[in-house]
Amino acid sequence: MEPRVVITGMGLLTPLGWKLEAIWQNLQAGKSGVRRIQAFDPSALPTQIAGEIADFDAKDFVDRKDRKALKVMSRPIQLAVCATNLALQDAGLNPAQVDPTRLGVVYGAGLIASELEELGPAAKLTTNGQPYFVDLEKWGREGLAAMPPLWMLKYLPNMLACHVSILHNAQGPNNSITQGDVASLLALGEAWRILRRGAADVMLTGGGDSRLNPLSMSRLCLFAPLSRRNEAPEEASRPFDRERDGLVPGEGAAILVLETLEHAQRRGAKIYGEVVGFASGFDRRRSGAVLAQVIGQAIKNAGVHPEAIDHINAHGYSTPKEDVWEAAGLAEVFGPNNNRLPVFAAKSYWGNLGAAGSVAELAISLLAWRHGLLPPTRNYRYPDPACPIYVLANRWHESHKDYFLKVAIGERGHCAAALFRRWR
Amino acid sequence: MRRRVVITGMGVVTPLGHSVDALYRSQIEGRSGVGYITHFDARTFPTRIAAEVRDFELADYLGGDAQKFEDVGANCRFALAAAKQALEDAGVLNGGVDRRRFGVYLGTGEGQQDFFAFISLIGRCYQSETQSVDVRRFTELALRELHLGREREQEPHTTVAHIAEYFGLEGPNYNCLTACAASSQAIGEAVELIRRGEADLVLSGGSHSMIHPFGVTGFCLLTALSTRNDEPTKASRPFDAQRDGFVLGEGAGMLVLEELEHARRRKAHIYAEITGYGLSADAFRITDSHPEGRGAVACMADALRDAGLRPQDIGYINAHGTSTQVNDKVETLAIKKVFGEYAYQVPISSSKSMIGHLIAAAGVVELIICVMSLRHGILPPTINYEHPDPECDLDYIPNVAREKRIEHALSNSFGFGGQNVSLIVSRFRD
Repeated sequence: MEPRVVITGMGLLTPLGWKLEAIWQNLQAGKSGVRRIQAFDPSALPTQIAGEIADFDAKDFVDRKDRKALKVMSRPIQLAVCATNLALQDAGLNPAQVDPTRLGVVYGAGLIASELEELGPAAKLTTNGQPYFVDLEKWGREGLAAMPPLWMLKYLPNMLACHVSILHNAQGPNNSITQGDVASLLALGEAWRILRRGAADVMLTGGGDSRLNPLSMSRLCLFAPLSRRNEAPEEASRPFDRERDGLVPGEGAAILVLETLEHAQRRGAKIYGEVVGFASGFDRRRSGAVLAQVIGQAIKNAGVHPEAIDHINAHGYSTPKEDVWEAAGLAEVFGPNNNRLPVFAAKSYWGNLGAAGSVAELAISLLAWRHGLLPPTRNYRYPDPACPIYVLANRWHESHKDYFLKVAIGERGHCAAALFRRWR
Repeated sequence: MRRRVVITGMGVVTPLGHSVDALYRSQIEGRSGVGYITHFDARTFPTRIAAEVRDFELADYLGGDAQKFEDVGANCRFALAAAKQALEDAGVLNGGVDRRRFGVYLGTGEGQQDFFAFISLIGRCYQSETQSVDVRRFTELALRELHLGREREQEPHTTVAHIAEYFGLEGPNYNCLTACAASSQAIGEAVELIRRGEADLVLSGGSHSMIHPFGVTGFCLLTALSTRNDEPTKASRPFDAQRDGFVLGEGAGMLVLEELEHARRRKAHIYAEITGYGLSADAFRITDSHPEGRGAVACMADALRDAGLRPQDIGYINAHGTSTQVNDKVETLAIKKVFGEYAYQVPISSSKSMIGHLIAAAGVVELIICVMSLRHGILPPTINYEHPDPECDLDYIPNVAREKRIEHALSNSFGFGGQNVSLIVSRFRD
């Protein structure tokens, strides 16, 4: 018999806060985490809004002895490290009491931008005011010496999971999935596989990401379909709504503690839910056809009847194109208007948290189970005939049924679906 | 019984040839692919040498379609070419298999940042007095000067998306980036996808190039690279007492991994079986491996357990063997801990002595060399082995290839930051 896998802890650092009660209260108050960017002056950018974490100081979240290491961590790494500590606290799990070789880490991570100031002195020395000009001879001779020795290590995407393994002596399986906005759900799928094949007892999984710096935001403004609703930040992220005009970048980290049921029960852990099905694929035509198969497979793997599903926790980019093919995939599986099966899109509250997004979003469904109520999707005012699905809006949904489905898609065609069972 | 996973197709782009046969031949001949860096002017860098991929044109593989990939970086070009070879080799290039059951799991590096555009931008916006950047100016100029297409291609999931889209593979699609262990880890997890029934076929491997100003800068700052600039072909010398760091390489390797019954049904040629996958984390430091080789021991032992083999069953070890002081010492120690007395008998070599360190792509290329060694019964040497190191006292197949028929080979990959992977390939038997 393969081990069953349960979720026993969560750590969230989001634009709606980091204490689970505070996040819930903000959802109840219908608050949005999207605002005009405050981390830097965005006034030259076409998109000046984001889901930003206010007043984050990593020192507040880590032990005094570990603070020195924060210096070699870029913001996404810090976010992930801090969310991990929150998740372990929430799970009541002291890593020192777990067999270190049976404790693993699989995180999703994105491209991490170098902090401009670290390159400043070397750049100043070797440029002459002309675009695209760098004096490489001088760079080699003097530029290198003007850079921090550990520069590269601060920005490698595997460093989220590496730092966590070091801080918590996690010697088990360790991986970093760099798959854009699907990364953290794929990471969860892999962690689930690792536990089911018996290669670990406890897996930390999720992701951390932040694009709220001048370089990443400039890059996104160039190539990503961003919302330009700068005058109304709180209304900018509106998944599946007819008036949506693009995605809203965000930042955050979301970490779950996954355990084999046996391990969790042995230590008397509280259980949020069980991971019962997972599948992934690549919808190369971005038509929803492969997405539908992926969802179908995740449900079938779990041996669950679609009618047992309480709600769908959608990806909901809030872009004109992607919402259409996601909706097509959902409609193909669940029928027109998905048979009134409510669709919830957490991005409506805080934007796109990138490599942390999927897991942060599904955590809301886990919290909803605990409270018996699922929040409405924000900003869903005008149904879009091109997205023929039933989006839960303007009212809270009483969550009674035993399963929810999480869907994640990437703009290139990546897709994944996971099914979770309520713990009773 | 768990599902068995076999290799039915292989492809490479390396500093020593752009086909599996060319690579293996040069390995057996003991040639070095290391020379002076030509991709950019590295004359004043502490390290001026690398093993570069030469004479490579994507159009040789994709014909006119190569134009579609104008903005992509070296990672993606190498990956496309190696993937094409592997799929063709496996006989699955033109379909005939269920696309939905055909996944992709790569360990491909991040895209190359546009060094000149980016640094020239910062240079104009950095104020030395306040040690800060004029952000408004920076963003204004960035919007004007950064290249939309090339910026998009830097995202680390673009290569795997291009591969899936171009070759029409709709199964599970992953990219992992665990530094120097990435492509080995990708193969190991791809094997698990097939074992667990999430796919019947997976294109797996990796590609990477860090031979660009940022990459060389980063590694020079960490003092990880060899500075034997006056003798490029002698610079990569794993396990030799006078080793002084690794030499950067670049390239790609791809495997078609297939469930055994699936391969049999379509009468595919089977190169070898992947029987063992072990992984672990050092959980020690971001810069150094654990001095006792804790993680390396764990992943080798784990792979043997997974394969159901004893240490004596392994006929050849393709070492991580980077040519840094620490790695080679610790890896030697770890092999002794796992293999006991037999450690002194098992032949070990490092492909990096010839092709340098392909970083994310290293593992897959080295595994392909293991597969070829299984098939041809000739083990490639470690070249530049001249001065014995008392702490590295095993049989590293010094300088000359060796004939030996083997049944099982083990390949190690250890990533910066402490991720460790071992894979075992075995001669295929019913």
